[in-house]
Amino acid sequence: MRTKLFMIAGIALLAATVPALAHHAFTAEFDANQPIKLRGTVARIELINPHSWFHIDVKEPDGKMTRWMVEGGTPNTLLRRGFTKSSLPLGTEILVDGYRSKDGSNRVNGRDITYPDGKKLFLGGSSADAPK
Amino acid sequence: MSHRFCLSACALVLLIPLAVFAQTAKPWTPPHMPDGQPDLQGVWTTATLTSLERPAEFAGKEFFTEKEAADYEKRLLEQGNRDRRTGSAEADVAGAYNEFWFERGSKIVGSRRTSLIIDPPDGKIPALTPEAQKRQAARAEYRRLHPADGPADLSLNNRCILWPTAGPPMLPGGYNNNYQIVQSPGYVVILVEMIHDARIIPLDGRPHVPQNVRLLMGDSRGHWEGNTLVVETTNFTDKTAFRGSGPNLHLIERFTRTSPDTIVYEFTANDESSFTRPWTAQIPMKKTPDPLFEYACHEGNYGMEGILKGARAEEKKASGGK
Repeated sequence: MRTKLFMIAGIALLAATVPALAHHAFTAEFDANQPIKLRGTVARIELINPHSWFHIDVKEPDGKMTRWMVEGGTPNTLLRRGFTKSSLPLGTEILVDGYRSKDGSNRVNGRDITYPDGKKLFLGGSSADAPK
Repeated sequence: MSHRFCLSACALVLLIPLAVFAQTAKPWTPPHMPDGQPDLQGVWTTATLTSLERPAEFAGKEFFTEKEAADYEKRLLEQGNRDRRTGSAEADVAGAYNEFWFERGSKIVGSRRTSLIIDPPDGKIPALTPEAQKRQAARAEYRRLHPADGPADLSLNNRCILWPTAGPPMLPGGYNNNYQIVQSPGYVVILVEMIHDARIIPLDGRPHVPQNVRLLMGDSRGHWEGNTLVVETTNFTDKTAFRGSGPNLHLIERFTRTSPDTIVYEFTANDESSFTRPWTAQIPMKKTPDPLFEYACHEGNYGMEGILKGARAEEKKASGGK
């Protein structure tokens, strides 16, 4: 199992508008200038509202293990797609590509969460639509 | 297993006939409750790609053709897909996380309208009155100066108090667009998944609470007009602002079950002190076999701490680390 922690310098590109549909303004909590890639193993899962949290153990370059908290979305959508805590066993290795919290704590938003082979962690189609 | 579930759910969606709305013209009698009320019970979803207001590019166009609708749906799904990361870092952060967390639907409404607003005919929220504009500007200025001095400066949804689409009026959003309607003699209750509220609507003709009692979700009273449930809501506060509305908002909602799987939900926003004319939107609600899940927002709201700490970190940075 290879675990690495990559820190990448942030580059602000052209501004674009993305509608804020999530529970809170992510830009207030996470720093666009601190993109971060983590590779670690799932140590704890909190399927709670308003946001799920995945706690992962990451081995830093000096060999020290560090616990990170990764924010996801509402668990309600996952439950509707048949995802439960047992769908992601503890110890599973995952990759997280996100942004670190502004206060410098070990929290990131899980902008993209994938398995090491690049597969998405959760497969999900769209839910039921309003009637045609 | 989740994938198999999705496949069957998606297939079901595809099989839904394209003309449920057209069927509404046919006489269809909804089932009734033992007390005689038309039966609206069940879990319903309002997920749709159709926006509340008509996008500028469709000015003057009230309906899509079938082909235009299909093309528009495809474009929206591509544009809105959060797995795309082609914007700025700021846009990336605002995008929050992968697409799998969202349930915004994959179709526009069956009427093929270009907006949920059906009146005024331009599909736009009417201009705000000078009073409402002034109120909005004052709010924006306060938010600019005090984005997160303390918890009370954060929005009602950040504080897990009220979701802006929970209503009334109730609007589709990015996820958890689910409502459970429960009826008992003399009452209709609408349980809103985002973010936990239960709207308890008495049907016995009692008057609204006194004018000096103001409620975040207003004070609702319902009655039946034929098979349509009509809900009038008043007594709003100045802490909520639905698209510029104020405490004088008099909201009228109409729920009509037009088929076993469909409720046509309409609301009209009347607020002379805020809008230059009343306006009406129509949103189809589709019955879903899925249960409503709990949304215990406050107890897991780590975001509150994160936002306040983020604001303090920004202040420290701005003051040179002092």
